[in-house]
Amino acid sequence: MSKRLTKLILFYLILVGLWQGLAFLKLWPEYIFPTPLGVLKTLLTGFEDKTFIIGILISMKRILIGYGLSIVVGLCVGLLIGRIKTLDETVGSLVLGFQALPSICWLPLALVWFGLSESAMLAIVILGSLFSIIIGADTGVKNVPPIYIRAARTMGAKEIQLYTKVIIPAALPSIISGFKQGWSFAWRSLMAAELLYVGLGLGHLLMMGRELNDMNQVIAVMIVIIIIGIVVDRLIFAKIENKVRERWGLT
Amino acid sequence: MSKVVHKSGQTEELKNLDKLKPNKIIDVRGAVCPHPLNLIRDSIISLKDNEILQAVCDHEPTAKENAPRFCTRRGYPLQVIEQNGVWQIFIQKIEKTEPRLRVLNVSKVFKTNHGRVTAIDNVDLTIQEGEFVCIVGPSGCGKSTLLNLIAGLDKPTQGEIWSNGNRVTGPGSERVVVFQEGALFPWLTVMQNVEFGLKLRQVPLEIRRTLALDYLKLVGLDEKFHNSFIHQLSGGMKQRVALARALVMEPAILLMDEPFAALDVYTRETLQEELQNIWTESHKTIVFVTHNVQEAILLGDRVIVFARNPGRIKAEYEIDITRPRKIDHPEVFLNTKWITDDIKEELEEPAYKADTREVVYK
Ligand SMILES: Nc1ncnc2c1ncn2[C@@H]1O[C@H](COP(=O)(O)OP(=O)(O)OP(=O)(O)O)[C@@H](O)[C@H]1O
Ligand SMILES: [Mg+2]
Repeated sequence: MSKRLTKLILFYLILVGLWQGLAFLKLWPEYIFPTPLGVLKTLLTGFEDKTFIIGILISMKRILIGYGLSIVVGLCVGLLIGRIKTLDETVGSLVLGFQALPSICWLPLALVWFGLSESAMLAIVILGSLFSIIIGADTGVKNVPPIYIRAARTMGAKEIQLYTKVIIPAALPSIISGFKQGWSFAWRSLMAAELLYVGLGLGHLLMMGRELNDMNQVIAVMIVIIIIGIVVDRLIFAKIENKVRERWGLT
Repeated sequence: MSKVVHKSGQTEELKNLDKLKPNKIIDVRGAVCPHPLNLIRDSIISLKDNEILQAVCDHEPTAKENAPRFCTRRGYPLQVIEQNGVWQIFIQKIEKTEPRLRVLNVSKVFKTNHGRVTAIDNVDLTIQEGEFVCIVGPSGCGKSTLLNLIAGLDKPTQGEIWSNGNRVTGPGSERVVVFQEGALFPWLTVMQNVEFGLKLRQVPLEIRRTLALDYLKLVGLDEKFHNSFIHQLSGGMKQRVALARALVMEPAILLMDEPFAALDVYTRETLQEELQNIWTESHKTIVFVTHNVQEAILLGDRVIVFARNPGRIKAEYEIDITRPRKIDHPEVFLNTKWITDDIKEELEEPAYKADTREVVYK
């Protein structure tokens, strides 16, 4: 572990060193080629004067609301599609179709329906994550070993108990994978949408960097976006996923 | 003319013989061992209610033999008369008590992409309270199908199933199934698995715990595994948990579908022994499916042999060996040999032979 960590740190030190070395050569003006020191300075001031913090909070608020709604709707739809054949054959095909569509393609429609507003942004986040969550739940339900359901029924489980006590727990590993994928799609969609719409948030900070020709800011915001993505994915979802898989005996 | 009244425990005497007219007469003189009286028993089964069978036999039927035992179990009145070295047995088929389980002319046809498959055809079966019945037969003869129908997990294409006087229309916890493997819930601990059915019934936690502990003890699962997850157990321990999970529901009938088939020989023997002990103590009605004749004889009061294509009852045997039976008991061995010889062609018929019947040659 520590050996791996040393390798990692060394790799990044060399990378940053090379980058700073290139910058010292002054081949390009700073507004085109940012420097590590410049980026670091921007990061620090960004957090100091709270513009980055506000950006993060606004983006997080959007994603939490949108993603939360997605979870509620997606879970309900997915659980039903997985078990009701007619729904699967109808709504299921629709979901598969929409899943193939990058969610940013919804933007024109969202702008016409909701205008340049917070709602349009939410719509993009929801549409970005909804289908992955539905498919995760749906796959999970479809792959519940039939013997679990039969066993529960012989012990007297009714349809609702089957859902709450057997199908959902049995499908949980797949549901969590759906959540995880849904999150990463939601995060990407939100960043794309924020780029195109003035409304603070991290994407907006990126665009501001471009407009001010401040590549240091662009890189600094990119780093923030990457870190948030990694933290949520690795520290939250991967942990939950591993725990569930371990407990379910899937590892 | 001398009269030999059959002196077996509860068997009722069939009275007023001179006024009754037999509906069917069979002669089993000269029938070959091992089970000449099986023929009589099969004839009784084919009788309608209240009909009378007269059987002619060349030795005195003892209480332990198949047919008399069969009548005793069901409470059919019986009378035996000796005449010049020939024994006449009269039996009337009167159902005294409602049997625990009745399978009436049940057939099940599955529709598949390749056409219709008759999994079981016209199966008739009556099981009394407290009986341990083993169903044995080759792979694909419809044993599991029948068990699923009894459990109510599937609906018969034709016929009816009655459990204690109630028509079976769906699954219910008075008919719990123990499956071969893989039916325990991996997201629950051993204890939670055993409590599962009680929780569905909304039994309060304290009572649930106590009952679960009792039954885990009964099936002999070491206490240190009570909070383990299922994937941490060995195959034998898993089946113990599965058995406890079923027994804790106190089902009127315990249905078991090859519960020990996936275990190694030693574990299987231990579990067979424990199941026997549990049955001897509780006299629960058990229907036990297996493809192993020896296992069926070791465990069952009655062994029902299934044949294939279509799945149907081929023969039935009463097993009289005293309990507890050991797998190496000579009588278990002998009975296994007899029955195996009896049904040899059925057991040896390879699966492909059955399949080729459906192939159309162009
Ligand atoms: N759901 C189903 N759909 C179609 N055919 C089925 C289905 N279930 C069983 N069958 C067919 O019915 C027949 C009997 O199957 P069943 O599983 O009852 O046999 P079995 O005696 O339990 O065999 P085994 O010893 O292998 O478990 C087989 O030919 C099988 O292919
Ligand atoms: Mg089977």
